[in-house]
Amino acid sequence: MSHVVVSGMGLVTPVGTSAEEVMAAMCEGRSGLARPDADGPLAGSLEVAGFAPPVDPASVLPAPDTRLVDRCIVMAMRAAADALADAGIEVGRDVDPYRIGVILSGNGGLATLEAQVVVRTQRGRLGVSPYLLPAMLPNMSAARIAIRHGIRGYSSSVSTACAAGAQSVGEGLRLLRADEADVVVVGCSEAPLFPTLADTFGNARALARGWADDPTGASRPFDRRRNGLVLGEGAGVLVLERAEHADARGAAGYADVLGWGATNDAHHPTTPHPDGEGAAACMRQALRSAGIGPQDIGYVNAHGTSTRLGDLAEVVAIRKVFGGHAPPVSATKAVTGHLLGASGVVESAVSVLALGRGLLPPTHNLDDPDPACELDHVRKGPRPAPGITHVMSNSFGFGGHNISLVYGLPSTRLARSV
Amino acid sequence: MSTEEIRAFVLASLSAMNYDTTDVDDDTLLGPAGADLESLSLAELGVRVEEEFGVRFDDDEAELLGTMTVGEFGAAVAARIQAAPTAGH
Repeated sequence: MSHVVVSGMGLVTPVGTSAEEVMAAMCEGRSGLARPDADGPLAGSLEVAGFAPPVDPASVLPAPDTRLVDRCIVMAMRAAADALADAGIEVGRDVDPYRIGVILSGNGGLATLEAQVVVRTQRGRLGVSPYLLPAMLPNMSAARIAIRHGIRGYSSSVSTACAAGAQSVGEGLRLLRADEADVVVVGCSEAPLFPTLADTFGNARALARGWADDPTGASRPFDRRRNGLVLGEGAGVLVLERAEHADARGAAGYADVLGWGATNDAHHPTTPHPDGEGAAACMRQALRSAGIGPQDIGYVNAHGTSTRLGDLAEVVAIRKVFGGHAPPVSATKAVTGHLLGASGVVESAVSVLALGRGLLPPTHNLDDPDPACELDHVRKGPRPAPGITHVMSNSFGFGGHNISLVYGLPSTRLARSV
Repeated sequence: MSTEEIRAFVLASLSAMNYDTTDVDDDTLLGPAGADLESLSLAELGVRVEEEFGVRFDDDEAELLGTMTVGEFGAAVAARIQAAPTAGH
């Protein structure tokens, strides 16, 4: 069975667009959360959100296609181009076009659909753009990345809400282990900062409230004062590659993707099962898939969205898997907000960098840990962890979807310096 | 509605659709060999004309728009406006 290595990464997040920038923000507690513009469409819907930097559509698309395209697709294309460049891969030169795939996921361009519904209400049938579907369908990030880079192998898009990005990594691992590709571009992109989505999260009472005067304090996983998630936007893309293929072209790996788990709580559309059994089974499955035991994990990047029930269920699950010797845990959504499906890929990148550096990013804002959430929390600054060999990243989504990913030191001859 | 006005509307539409109209004239093909409108752009041009002038190209006619020049398209629109004088606004 092939070893599978992460050979490139591309990020568009509220705390930066390079691995260096993102990791520095997380270690220093530099938050990407801010109040929305008081005169903008989100005022009244969101107190605080994680805004990613602007990405010019013209930097990734031909001019006629830039007029109507959702931000999630533009961010996905930017992150994918950056990840392929980071891996040093040009399709056709470094990999056979039919041996590279793309799995790029997310909820699709719902903001663009919302805007077109408004146009139709105002102007009628003729106001609706023929470009709407390529501008917003959930598979269009994968499709447009395939078109731009000439990727002719497997392509797909996963729709498992906030587990979609992590699941894309797992699906990529499966393809590469089955020798159905040499390289797979995996990732997720989400642009949820528009009124209708903000309002449904708000009306469902899922959002952090009461933080308008302290926006950077709004996301506080595992803290006693946590009271909801903070929506964020962004994209994360990893280039996964068979280690032999990377070695053959002299490429260095960041880390190996060693295993993954995928389960469902089979409990409720939006609430995690309080016994954490589905999530625990998922983590155990990931350990088995990686061929290691719980004692081998040196760090867990938790899903940790800062909701009361979600954080608690994850803590219960982590304790079930790791017993009284749970590894250090942190939740980096404290500074990014919840990038929905994209969070699993961004947090995979962070986990991989933590592994490479032997330095664990903290959970920012974890000032007063909830006694019900007791774990070995990394807080109040990064924690050196020299010699760690394996890390885990958890992602859980509406629908009860659970994904856990396990990363280990790179098996390529060359290792990326991080 | 004069052909000049229709031509101006078509050129303004192409510009609004982010196509370069610097070298576009009556003899320029709308499709790949000329202005390079692809299928969805041609569909959008048809919708814009329908919204502006109240004339409609059927689906099978719309498929042929890419083979028309700007001048031929303008003439086709003008003919339809004339045939349906109450349409438009």
